Amino acid sequence: MNIIEIRNLSKIYDEKTVPVYALNGVDLAFKEGEFTCIVGPSGSGKTTMLNMLGGLDSPSAGGIRIGDTDITSLRSRQLIDFRLRNIGFVFQSFNLIPVLTAKENVEFIMQMQGIKKDQRDKRTMELLNAVGLADKVNTRPGKLSGGQQQRVAVARALASKPRFILADEPTANLDSKSAENLLEIMEKLNREENITFIFSTHDARVVAKARRVVTLEDGRIVADVSKN
Amino acid sequence: MSDLRLAWRNIWRNKRRTLLTAASIFLAVFLALIVRSLQTGLFDNLIQISIQSYTGHIQIHKKGYWDDRTIDNTIVYNDSLTAVVNRLKNVEITVPRLEYFALASSGMQTKGVIIIGTDPVKEDSLTRLSSKMVKGLYLDRTGRGVIVAGGLAEFLGLHTGDTLILIGQGFHGVSAAGKFSVRGIIHLPSPPLDNQVVYMNLPTAQDFFSADNRISSLSISLKKPDDIGMTMGELTSAVNLSKFEVMSWDQLMVEIMQQLKVKTASGMIIISILYLIVGFGIFGTVIMMTNERTKEFGVMVSVGMQKSRLAMILVLEMVFIGLTGALSGLAAALPIMAWYNFHPIKLWGAMAQAYLSYGIEPLLPLALKWGFILSNFTAVMVIVLLTCIFPVRRVFKLKVVEALHK
Repeated sequence: MNIIEIRNLSKIYDEKTVPVYALNGVDLAFKEGEFTCIVGPSGSGKTTMLNMLGGLDSPSAGGIRIGDTDITSLRSRQLIDFRLRNIGFVFQSFNLIPVLTAKENVEFIMQMQGIKKDQRDKRTMELLNAVGLADKVNTRPGKLSGGQQQRVAVARALASKPRFILADEPTANLDSKSAENLLEIMEKLNREENITFIFSTHDARVVAKARRVVTLEDGRIVADVSKN
Repeated sequence: MSDLRLAWRNIWRNKRRTLLTAASIFLAVFLALIVRSLQTGLFDNLIQISIQSYTGHIQIHKKGYWDDRTIDNTIVYNDSLTAVVNRLKNVEITVPRLEYFALASSGMQTKGVIIIGTDPVKEDSLTRLSSKMVKGLYLDRTGRGVIVAGGLAEFLGLHTGDTLILIGQGFHGVSAAGKFSVRGIIHLPSPPLDNQVVYMNLPTAQDFFSADNRISSLSISLKKPDDIGMTMGELTSAVNLSKFEVMSWDQLMVEIMQQLKVKTASGMIIISILYLIVGFGIFGTVIMMTNERTKEFGVMVSVGMQKSRLAMILVLEMVFIGLTGALSGLAAALPIMAWYNFHPIKLWGAMAQAYLSYGIEPLLPLALKWGFILSNFTAVMVIVLLTCIFPVRRVFKLKVVEALHK
């Protein structure tokens, strides 16, 4: 069953002067439980695609349907709320809130969702256990390594029980051991809990783990390969 | 993690900057409160001196007297008027006075003088007139002896026991003339008054001006001066306003009040400049805090935080810095204000001499009034909230993708 459907999606920058097509008439769908990589050279439209999927940017043309919702028709407040309840984000540079501990960073999302404290505490501990950071619950991001911070970011992305997680170059700032470790965690979460991951990446290790690889060039899909 | 705790933690990301900003607010609040307290204390003292040395808190006259102070514009001092006034619970002392001009002569010298006929005992209760005596005896209630201000006595060459001749115009044009024995010499701190005033008891003045039972003013001193508004209200509804005018001390001392207003306004301008400088300091902090966290704002909105909530957190951060500075400024200034309110500053030198010449202890209490404490506190918090317009606007105009690439 498709959880994301993209129809004729275009994003044009500098429309009035010299139009640049970051995405040009893309049609694509993602099924629940996918572990998909979007690859391509710099400027091919990977990040733009992820921004569109996450509702962070609006398309110049086309539509994106997530479940039953056409997110391109949502207003700003509705879109923020939709993201809170449906989409998890993992950023290249971790982007944790520096004044919050690992536990608080994870819990923060659930608090915004209005989940009760005892439920929050339980899920936070489950998630930090799942990413192997149960002993760092009270540590602030500044005292965690890059790999540990990115694992907290994964736990934070999972906190809201999203429909899918968007990860923009999640291993770009990690050493190879941390990257390997992070990928194993995400793969395990995908396999065991059927969580959908969509990556944009240049990293061959991520591509190797992915079960589907979508290749973009000049804003168009040039390959869409599923591995069995 | 509540928004309050998050905001509190956020302000301590850069401790030095937060402390510097809070310190500038602290200094502004502290200085503003001390300056205002000193100024208000000084002005209150001046007003108090004026009230105690002559005007009282309220005066009752014949309607139109204050604009045309003649002997014909006087009122009958009778039981019905005193009964009306004495019924009011807040009234402490009432002093009836009859005042008018005359020519004073002794030997070859003649001069225009102000004659003040008064009740010696009541006058002394209000103005402590007897404490200003330098020679001879204070007035009594029945004798015809007068006391003469020092400068006038010197000009006329008068000493105690000498005779003073007074000539003038009495009630309804009757001529007034009389010889009076000088009972004592008094020193009045105001040079114009010291060169002009002759005190006598009320019956003697009424007899001299042929103004039987008449007075030009009834000065009233209150038990609770702060309740003057209520007492004025009671008085104006109790007396016949077509015949009488009821004036409060600020209406009686218009010139002084205008001067004080000008001085208060200049003080306020200085404080406003101080706050403006502090406001720019706070604004600088706000700009830095906003600019260096733009990416973080983008992340927070990406993961699902509504912009209104993010803006509220930023406002809370500034409110915390403002409160930290303002409350610590208040905490530092209040004990000083309270101490010098209960233990006034002892004046020295020329200022002390000036106070002593009024028969007033040379003390300057600092004012401790919630009005200006609250207004200064409010001013700081309003400045803080105004500086929040910038980050709030920035958040609501935030473009998430651009912010994430900062």
